[in-house]
Amino acid sequence: MNIFWYVMMFLSILVLLITNPSAVLSEMIDASADALSLCIELCAIYAVWLGLLEMVEASGLGEKLAKLLRPLIKKIFKVDNAETQKIIALNVSANMLGLGNAATPMGIKAMQSLDDKSGRANFAMIMLVVINATSIQLLPTTVIGLRASAGSENPSDIILPTLIVTFCTTLLGIILVHTIDKFKRQKARAKS
Amino acid sequence: MSNYILPILFLLLFAYCLYKRINTYDTFVKGAKGAIKLVVDIFPFIASILIAVALLRVSGITNFLAQMLAPIFNALGIPTELCELVLLRPFTGSGSYGILENIFTTYGADSYISRCACVIMGCSETIFYVATVYISQTKVKKLLYAIPVALICSLIGTILACLICKVM
Repeated sequence: MNIFWYVMMFLSILVLLITNPSAVLSEMIDASADALSLCIELCAIYAVWLGLLEMVEASGLGEKLAKLLRPLIKKIFKVDNAETQKIIALNVSANMLGLGNAATPMGIKAMQSLDDKSGRANFAMIMLVVINATSIQLLPTTVIGLRASAGSENPSDIILPTLIVTFCTTLLGIILVHTIDKFKRQKARAKS
Repeated sequence: MSNYILPILFLLLFAYCLYKRINTYDTFVKGAKGAIKLVVDIFPFIASILIAVALLRVSGITNFLAQMLAPIFNALGIPTELCELVLLRPFTGSGSYGILENIFTTYGADSYISRCACVIMGCSETIFYVATVYISQTKVKKLLYAIPVALICSLIGTILACLICKVM
């Protein structure tokens, strides 16, 4: 991320130096202000979802949901810790309902409990990022809403194609991460 | 239809909490308290990514890249009109929703381009944003192969989306 951010910043500022030098600082501050208002919005959203999530957990529903998804999560993420499995289950189910914003706080929590403090990303963390990036969407709620307000005749006719595509990409993501992990471990074994 | 799903889920949750005799108010307050700390912790990460994206856009680099990559995207079956969306989607959620609305008004919400754009939005995520925010509270600095894999999956999803919208 460090190199990536550096390249983006350096190139943009370099180009702007030639084309529009006065825009640099004002654009940066504008963007930072955008980030702040996004954070305030997120804070409101998180308060609602984290509050509800606490209810889900306190009532034991989280446990139940996790039990339901446990075999699948165990197989995909290779985690044995029950607490972690539960948070991952909540993160994945929020993602499926198209609630990306609700999934984020749980994703952060899941990452914290997966963190082994070694400073290296482990298999389950990588899997979590990839699954979140390709997440199966049962209901792309925001897109349908936007499309409806743009005057579409049948705004929900994209649900089925979206479902098919996300199913394919999620499956592909899981397979890729598993294959790369296997390959890496074979290589490590060959070395030792 | 989708309007009913959340309220129904919420009602079920409240009913279940009553059945389990949970103090819903205390529990909700306890959970909601975590929101402020969480947002304070992730703000610098969001700010830095949004600053970089804003500079990329005003400098015209994204536009330039979109034009440069158009032939490659066309070869993969992705229409030129969707290049900007495909390029910016991994970085910014709100930004890509802005582009999506633009596509709706320019080409009409029921056109092939718009339907493709919708499916692309559904099958991809703001990968860089998710990756930075998710690991922001851990010791991990590098995600190894997670981002390349996620990007490849999104690209294949995009190609699939353009294909599937032709027949469905």
